[in-house]
Amino acid sequence: MRKRRTLAALAAVALAVPLVACGGTPGSGGDSKKLTFFSWDGEETMKPLIAKFEQDNPGTKVEFSNAPPVAEYISTLQSRILSGTAADVFVIAAENKTNLINGKHVVDLKDKPFLKNVPKFNQATYSGPDGAVYGMSVASWGAGILYNKDLLAKAGATTIPQTWDEFLALCKKLKDAGVTPYLESVQGMSTPLSAFLGAESRASGDTMDTKIFDGSAKFKDYWVEPLTQWSRLWTEGLVTRNVVGLTGDQVRTEFVTGKAAMMIAGPWDVPGVRKAAPKLNIEMAPIPGISGGKPYLAGAASPGYAINAKAKNPEAAEKFLTFLDTPEAMAIYQKATGAITVTTDFQPTLDPALTPIVKDVRAGNVYLPQIAWKRAEDILNVEATAQLQLLVQGKATPEQVANALDTKLASTS
Amino acid sequence: MAPAETSTEVSAGAGRPPRIRWARARETSANQLFLVPVALVFVVLLVVPLTQTFYWSFTDFTGYSAEVKFVGLSNYGKVLTDPSMLAGLGFTLAFTIGSAVLITVVAIPLAVVLNKKFFARNFVRSVFFFPAIPSIAILGLVWGYILSPLGSGVLNSVLESLFHAGPYPWLSDATLARVSVIVVAVWGGAGWHAMLYLAYLQSIPSDYYEVATIDGASARQQFFHITLPLLTPAIVISNFLLMTGGLKVYDLPYTLTKGGPGFATYTITQSIITSGVAQGRYGLASALAVLFTIAVGIVAVAQLWVSRRIERRVL
Repeated sequence: MRKRRTLAALAAVALAVPLVACGGTPGSGGDSKKLTFFSWDGEETMKPLIAKFEQDNPGTKVEFSNAPPVAEYISTLQSRILSGTAADVFVIAAENKTNLINGKHVVDLKDKPFLKNVPKFNQATYSGPDGAVYGMSVASWGAGILYNKDLLAKAGATTIPQTWDEFLALCKKLKDAGVTPYLESVQGMSTPLSAFLGAESRASGDTMDTKIFDGSAKFKDYWVEPLTQWSRLWTEGLVTRNVVGLTGDQVRTEFVTGKAAMMIAGPWDVPGVRKAAPKLNIEMAPIPGISGGKPYLAGAASPGYAINAKAKNPEAAEKFLTFLDTPEAMAIYQKATGAITVTTDFQPTLDPALTPIVKDVRAGNVYLPQIAWKRAEDILNVEATAQLQLLVQGKATPEQVANALDTKLASTS
Repeated sequence: MAPAETSTEVSAGAGRPPRIRWARARETSANQLFLVPVALVFVVLLVVPLTQTFYWSFTDFTGYSAEVKFVGLSNYGKVLTDPSMLAGLGFTLAFTIGSAVLITVVAIPLAVVLNKKFFARNFVRSVFFFPAIPSIAILGLVWGYILSPLGSGVLNSVLESLFHAGPYPWLSDATLARVSVIVVAVWGGAGWHAMLYLAYLQSIPSDYYEVATIDGASARQQFFHITLPLLTPAIVISNFLLMTGGLKVYDLPYTLTKGGPGFATYTITQSIITSGVAQGRYGLASALAVLFTIAVGIVAVAQLWVSRRIERRVL
């Protein structure tokens, strides 16, 4: 009886021990030879880069940890910052940059030599209102339309459309030939809409969002025409309204199985498409322009690497970012991630299908509303996504969508 | 019988020598020690977070800094006046009531069938229990492909080949999306709740049915006059779990529809998570969480009170 009770007591203690262990402090070591690094890329992706850094800096050991993007990474980083156990170097992303910068949790990197190869566009994405730069973003991404050129050829199309009217005409041609012309998932900000707005913003000297957020203009002044053009896909009956319920993976499945001729895609989609359908003749191109506008890409600077304002080892953190700026490190990073790197002294080797977009992506000719917005980014993005779904379903007009965004913005001020 | 036993025990205990009483007290305190880990888990994982949430609901906490400003009841005011904060209320209630009613309606007859003797009964029980094993997130992804609104979706393909019907916008029409999420929840939960009912069914003495059969009661009469009344305690527990779980639902609608189309399948929990984690408005999210916890508490207490009254009347 006593033995059984002792065993039960041991089991009870065993239950409690993991709880105590949970109170550990990852990344809290003060060892001058240890660099803590928290990323949202997995260990397999970052391992070669870390190994090379450790090889080049004998004695410095990198303690790596990660959490998958986006919500889990952000909440983990929040907890660590709050408890004073955040890593020396961590990822700063569009979703948490405002809170990190406003909370003074990240170091200004503006005058650091390792930023010299990072384009102004990428620096500006992670800059604060004071002009300081808080993240070292070494890559960018752009999303456009991925074409199945064989299906296009079957319908008699030989060239990639340059204008939105030409694109809609191509959709009609494909539909008449019995092919599903185009699919995009509407479970987030629309890529074509972002591209239309990007072209408009660039034409206005990049003042569009500044004006909307300083109150001198409204969403309805800029958004109604792009929304109207985008919704022609459904009002003209070219694409099924059922895309509202599709995920990006489901769209890609339709494309690789040859059931859809065109889909929205980013550089991350190409390896998956190549693997699933190696013989598919594909090409990616920017979103065709509306009303005389040029083709443009949705996209943004990739998340950057930031130095913790309370880093235990700031010297090693700077060394790590200095290392990242080298062509050698970029080659390893690019091979592991497949990203379109932007540092000026390294030219990435990418899938030929991406060639039509690489130059624009590296030049920063990309736009994403929720990155360009000055505040309440996620609040507006959630509202925009819901409103776009209603627009596709035919339950909201472009004017109503734009007004809903104006109302939402007003409610956050 | 029981009071007599108790009084005997008490008088015997009172007459025992101090050594025996001391040993008994030591045993009691040793037994209570086993509660410490559970109490610790309860305090660390429930009491502390709840207290923190209550505190944060009166502040402008962003999740990044412990330095917060006291904002009084302003977060509560915003929650009650901002339509987007309560956008998930309608579907959360529809999901909770719909899934609880449908699961109960499906699980009880299923349990009755699974209680009968037939070939490969254990295997069939396992099959019905299986949906309760994988995580809801995985089920959501699988059902996303089954309910794909395109013609190539699994369900639409079957309907097309059998009846030349469709494709139907299972997840892209507001009403169908709501129904689809509830149906998947019923599919995932009916087996588990059927097992709960099965356990109670096995405790009903077979004599009752034998007597009823001799008296000429039909199977239907036996079900409504013996089985169902004696299952009342199981119905209470099952529905209590379904109601509290349903009100907190997040993972299934999120993996199936991400809350769309529009806000058609948006839930209160999604609103709390989005406002807190993604938007760094922990103060606001905490206020919503506090109000929601109180609402769930009221529903749970009311449900228990009603159930107990029904239980007392039936049994």
